[in-house]
Amino acid sequence: MSELLETFLTEARELVQQAADDLLALERDPADAARLDGAFRSIHTLKGSVAIFDLAPMAAALHAGEDLLEALRAGQLALDRATIDLLLELVGASEAWVDSIATSGALPKDAPMRGKALEAALRQPLAGDAPAPRAAPLAESPAAPDWLPALAAREAEALARARAAGQAVTALRYVPAPDCFFLGDDPMALIRAVPQLAALHIAPRAPWPVEGMDPFACNLVIEAASTAPAAEIRRVLRLVADQVALAEIPAPAQPATALPASSTSRSLRVDAGRIDALVDLAGELIVAKNGLAHLVAQAGTTDPAFARALAESHAGIERLADAMHRAMLGLRMVPLGRSLVRFPRLVRDIAARLGKEVAFTIQGEAVEADKAIVDGLFEPLLHLLRNAIDHGIEEPAAREAAGKPRAGRIALVARREGEGVLVELSDDGRGLDPARLRQVAREWGLMEPAAIEALEDAAALDLVFLSGLSTASAVTDISGRGVGMDAVRVAVEAMGGRIALSSTPGAGTTIRLSLPQGASVTTVLTVRAGGEAFGIPAEMVSETARIPAERILPLRDAEAFVLRDRTVPLLRLSALLGLPVPPRGSAARVLVTGTGAARVGLEVDGFTGRLDVLLRPLGGLLRGMPGLLGTALLGDGCVLMVLDLPELVG
Amino acid sequence: MSLRLDGSTIRLEGECRVEDAEPLLVFLQDGDGRRVDLTAAGPLHAAVVQVLLALRPPLDGPPGDPFTARWLVPLLMLRRSV
Repeated sequence: MSELLETFLTEARELVQQAADDLLALERDPADAARLDGAFRSIHTLKGSVAIFDLAPMAAALHAGEDLLEALRAGQLALDRATIDLLLELVGASEAWVDSIATSGALPKDAPMRGKALEAALRQPLAGDAPAPRAAPLAESPAAPDWLPALAAREAEALARARAAGQAVTALRYVPAPDCFFLGDDPMALIRAVPQLAALHIAPRAPWPVEGMDPFACNLVIEAASTAPAAEIRRVLRLVADQVALAEIPAPAQPATALPASSTSRSLRVDAGRIDALVDLAGELIVAKNGLAHLVAQAGTTDPAFARALAESHAGIERLADAMHRAMLGLRMVPLGRSLVRFPRLVRDIAARLGKEVAFTIQGEAVEADKAIVDGLFEPLLHLLRNAIDHGIEEPAAREAAGKPRAGRIALVARREGEGVLVELSDDGRGLDPARLRQVAREWGLMEPAAIEALEDAAALDLVFLSGLSTASAVTDISGRGVGMDAVRVAVEAMGGRIALSSTPGAGTTIRLSLPQGASVTTVLTVRAGGEAFGIPAEMVSETARIPAERILPLRDAEAFVLRDRTVPLLRLSALLGLPVPPRGSAARVLVTGTGAARVGLEVDGFTGRLDVLLRPLGGLLRGMPGLLGTALLGDGCVLMVLDLPELVG
Repeated sequence: MSLRLDGSTIRLEGECRVEDAEPLLVFLQDGDGRRVDLTAAGPLHAAVVQVLLALRPPLDGPPGDPFTARWLVPLLMLRRSV
């Protein structure tokens, strides 16, 4: 992909987002002139950028949108809901087109049709309400000139350079009249006078005759680009204005939230891959440092003085390596807003399609997390939002009957919590009914009837996360929720997160996603089981306990113990792994994993410590091995198997 | 006089005007393998540029005129290679 196209895609996404934000704000406050200006600027800039590529349907639709916004700014039209809908549709289409260009390099097949329809729809209010719609025509020619894409492609390098420097570029095409030499024009002298020339190309208008060339007939097409303001170029070429066409290629969009220019906002765009390579290196450094700890321990047995010196040096390296690693991970931190910004528009769309009214709020966009987490959050959250609107929020009439405001409230709140990030999605809809969930679980035979009956209400709610329940489409009609909740859980857990749900029938549902802030280094608990060492991601362990043997209750062919007045089933890790099961001593060492109804105690032979490791996904022979999350290289060169507890236990 | 034939080299000197285009064309068409020396040439008139573009003679330089050197020579060379 050319550099020019890549910049365009990045920029176009920002502009689309900015336009959507402004339009949504305008929907709340149609009198907000700053937002109207903002929307106009975004669409105008996007149109300009689109013009340098061969994307005619997109350019035409954006142009119509720009005209409409221009008329709104001039007060020729009043902003109403239908107009905002229309403009948002344009923004949505642009977004889809940009995505299509990014993936396939071209507009989707339906783009010409969709573009035409949009263009017509956007032009309609102008035709109806304002007899002379284009009172203040824009400076440049109406549609994006057809010669521009070719010029942009040829001069891509020069344009990319100018744009990298943040300059607007004016492209010009000058076709001197054939008799211009007789009139005393020298097109070359005129072009020479164009300030800040950035590119120049001269070609014959018609092919050169093989013989009998007429040196007095001008047969040239001159195309050029300049970083000077269009007005200045126009002034230079005013005497041949009828032979010149100009097209402005706007400067790259400034970061949408125009922070006051200061040294703190100076930034450098670096390819994410390079950052990842650095993070990997820093991670390896930590692993190498752990190796040193091993040496210190070894030296302690033979030469205590040397071991002390080594330990001091080790501590120093440890501090530095940790600091470096943290700093590196910090580079990958991006604000959650990156994923969240698209939701207001999506919620609006979904609600409109379902005939629901929704007041949606977002808080905490500035909370930062690793890029992988932020990007990975989008899908699960979208799923949850869809569920909330589709199944949570009632029809407006039903809400009124229940004494609630017509518009359902959905709030998405993100905040730092401890080491991680908490994302909470709450709605004030009809909530989940544990009794219905129990009934469905029974009907589908998901658990032993006795076990289902024994579930407390809070635990029964967790049934929505069971895979059997989630794939059953009929469930949605009964329980009001459930589609894909299993998929959401899997996605969240794959990022090292946890999901919890609470609900009050009639009053609403709250879903909490607890996510790690960083993604690369995993803290594992090292345990022994069946004579071997294993790692267990610390975030999967909710607590560890020593249970005296006499408090372990035999349950038919299984075992359980009571933890804070709740009965928790007890499994032996060595048995799960198919390893020899050693006899139990006076007490069992147990780690508790899972939450709610899925809580399970796992008996291990012993806990050996806590380590930060660089978790590597399984490859080669181990790929697809059930119950294994990955491997980690230890300081002494051993490979530690890191277990996937939910898979092992479930 | 801004146009001079020196052996098989056509030397453009000083500002080249519209009236230089025809003699240039004639010089280039009269003899095979004629070169054009731009070292002493000043600003070139569009008519002159047009003749050079159409006939694509080998060029000698470097051109004394900065605009010619920066913008025109790359185009004239480019045309030659096409």
